[in-house]
Amino acid sequence: MPREITLVDANLGNLDSVERAIIQAGASVVTTSDPDRVAAARTLVFPGQGAFGASTNGLVNGALGAAIKVVIERGDPYLGICVGMQLLFDESEENGGNPGLGVLKGSVRRFPDGMTSFPGTRPLKIPHVGWNDVQPVGEHFYFSHSYYVDAAEPSDVTWTTRYGTIEFPAVVVRGNVYGCQFHPEKSQWAGLRFLRSFLLGGRA
Amino acid sequence: MLKRRIIPCLDIKNGRVVKGVHFAGLTDSGDPIEACRAYDGQGADEICMLDITATVEGRDTFVEVVRRVASQTFAPLTVGGGIRREADVRRLMLAGADKVAINSAIVTNPGLISQLAAKYGSQAIVAAVDVRRMPPRSGDTEPLYEVVIHGGSRSTGLEAIRWCEMAAELGAGEILLTSMDRDGTRDGYDLWITRTISRRVGIPVIASGGVGSLEHLREGLADEEGSADAALAASIFHFGLFTIGQAKAYLHEHGIPVRPPEPSRGITLG
Repeated sequence: MPREITLVDANLGNLDSVERAIIQAGASVVTTSDPDRVAAARTLVFPGQGAFGASTNGLVNGALGAAIKVVIERGDPYLGICVGMQLLFDESEENGGNPGLGVLKGSVRRFPDGMTSFPGTRPLKIPHVGWNDVQPVGEHFYFSHSYYVDAAEPSDVTWTTRYGTIEFPAVVVRGNVYGCQFHPEKSQWAGLRFLRSFLLGGRA
Repeated sequence: MLKRRIIPCLDIKNGRVVKGVHFAGLTDSGDPIEACRAYDGQGADEICMLDITATVEGRDTFVEVVRRVASQTFAPLTVGGGIRREADVRRLMLAGADKVAINSAIVTNPGLISQLAAKYGSQAIVAAVDVRRMPPRSGDTEPLYEVVIHGGSRSTGLEAIRWCEMAAELGAGEILLTSMDRDGTRDGYDLWITRTISRRVGIPVIASGGVGSLEHLREGLADEEGSADAALAASIFHFGLFTIGQAKAYLHEHGIPVRPPEPSRGITLG
């Protein structure tokens, strides 16, 4: 298991809870926004909250985005959480359309308004906030998002979750690249187990 | 499917839980850190802490409590009470809060919602709305509710449904709706206003105020009754009447989708 995790601080929210959860799962953490240190990481975790938009465009086109790609292309383990997962894909329709890193194929889309679970039931709320079950593992994780990944390659999607009529990727894996739409750092024991399995290098 | 959330809430004054918390096995019934750890262990879906301190020193103490709770729980943490400006939000978020619940400040300055949502994301901004049912007037076809602030002591003249719609439009991610008529009564949530607002706004609504039994939680969450996305309660959990696990078992038996309580596990993983 890697001893030290590099946590990317791209100013996309508070990193403390992610740092605490990784420590609890058994590794130490170095937090940095320095592209050189990111590029040198042996294991990279990129958490994110909030929105695709002005702040992520700077990242995608800037030195930090390039550094993340260096780590991924070198084959070292990478985990993107929430927006950190969404950024792996080609593009997002959030805030009028924005490019992603293009590491995985697909787009990030907004849940449609007025969606229901079954005909005649009340419209579902957006954002999708709270604990939802993830298949095929059957565990519950904590989600908080209005946008989901529409992956172009089904083989990249290992775990899925359903909200209304939309079944979306909860976890994507391709080689050394991992992403989760939920917040493992807020998902109690299920989340810590997930982080632990990422650290152990197994398929989460 | 998405589950309905059960959210225990602690009122904190000068760093201590008000009214005390009576769980079996707690050494100090007023210690918020112990209480939160117990709720986390019981499988609470989220934890809410409200600061009811009036002094500056008390506020600093609260931030310290948030920091300590956040360092020991791995569940979403919502905090509120006394938030006036962006600097208050920043302090609480840096201490480890995931969401802030803001009440009076957004009534006097609704633009604060958009400002905070742009900075922290809508998912972090909870509009806390305290409402009171107005005396019926002749000709009214449905009940009228007013938004009140400062713990219910001040009227605003704002109509509750319209205000909640506006808060959602401005970028709030959730609404924490408290009935001041029911708060502390143990008579159950005000189902009419909870259902009406939950159906009218597109964002999740957390029911609050009045829970005295597990049946009240069920009513608040059931589609044709309160229709809320989450149920907040304080005293039934504080006083050890029920655990979170018992509440979830009851709700599950009565057809409300809830996350099964996780067994309390040791800290060792793998």
